[in-house]
Amino acid sequence: MKKLFYPVAAVLILAGSAFTFLTAPGWQIDKPYSIGFSIGNEAGIFKDFQGTILFDDQNPGAGKFDVSVKVASVNTGNGLQNTHIKSGEWLDADNYPQILFTSSSIGKKGNGYEVTGQLDLHGVKKTITFPFTFQKSGQAAGTFTGNFTINRNDYKIGKPGGDVADQIKIDISVPVKKI
Amino acid sequence: MFKRSLALGIVSGLLAGIAGIVYSKVYFTMNQSDFSKVVSAVKIISVSVFGGVLAAIGFTLLTKWLNNRGEIVFNLCFTLISFASLLAPIAVSLPRTIDAPELFPGLVIPMHFFPALGWYTLKPIFIRSK
Repeated sequence: MKKLFYPVAAVLILAGSAFTFLTAPGWQIDKPYSIGFSIGNEAGIFKDFQGTILFDDQNPGAGKFDVSVKVASVNTGNGLQNTHIKSGEWLDADNYPQILFTSSSIGKKGNGYEVTGQLDLHGVKKTITFPFTFQKSGQAAGTFTGNFTINRNDYKIGKPGGDVADQIKIDISVPVKKI
Repeated sequence: MFKRSLALGIVSGLLAGIAGIVYSKVYFTMNQSDFSKVVSAVKIISVSVFGGVLAAIGFTLLTKWLNNRGEIVFNLCFTLISFASLLAPIAVSLPRTIDAPELFPGLVIPMHFFPALGWYTLKPIFIRSK
């Protein structure tokens, strides 16, 4: 038994260190990022965005996005609209203070990439998939860009129908620095 | 007559502008909300003087057309227009890089009344009622 200890320990250490090569490098969210949305003619941004980004453009499958947006940081440029969006009728910032996205898989698609993950918005969790690009600026920086559309009725945002469009277009641009 | 009205319009506009700048400084001190990119001192002065000159033209025309009733109609119109102009700061969408847009109407709404207040205050000095 004693004889086996060192060989087993060596194998475990080797195996453990091998997995570190499979982990994608981490990126720190840099400013000025833009998390924008538009519903019909109305548009706004979320000013507070944070999270963990692991991504390797050569091995996107090893990447992971775990990000959140603070609902109270919404800014449409109009104070009355901001208050209305944060109210219980729309995003209900008091009860659902964060919008969360956690990726489950990232892969290549065309010239860019595609991520699938769970979007937790207004208390409703749904799996979404959307394309994105990663533009490298040297070895230590880059910018993620992506856009997708969700249906606000799927997330019980606002009253169904009416004059407000159902589709919410999300535009994301996030500069990052290598950790 | 127009000469006196114009002088009144310019002076009351300038005073309204100065009052606006003082008010914006006080507002900034109280709320730490910086709207100087949207409402600069130059803009406050120029818009106030523009309002004063417009009032001078309106006053001259109305008193010419309506004689004694002209001033009554002018005062009514000036006050109504000042009230109606409040819709603009309430409905405006500021650049989204500016924080706390809900504090913007509180800054600008009082300023919309400064030209009228300046006019009514200084009018007896420039134009005597008949």
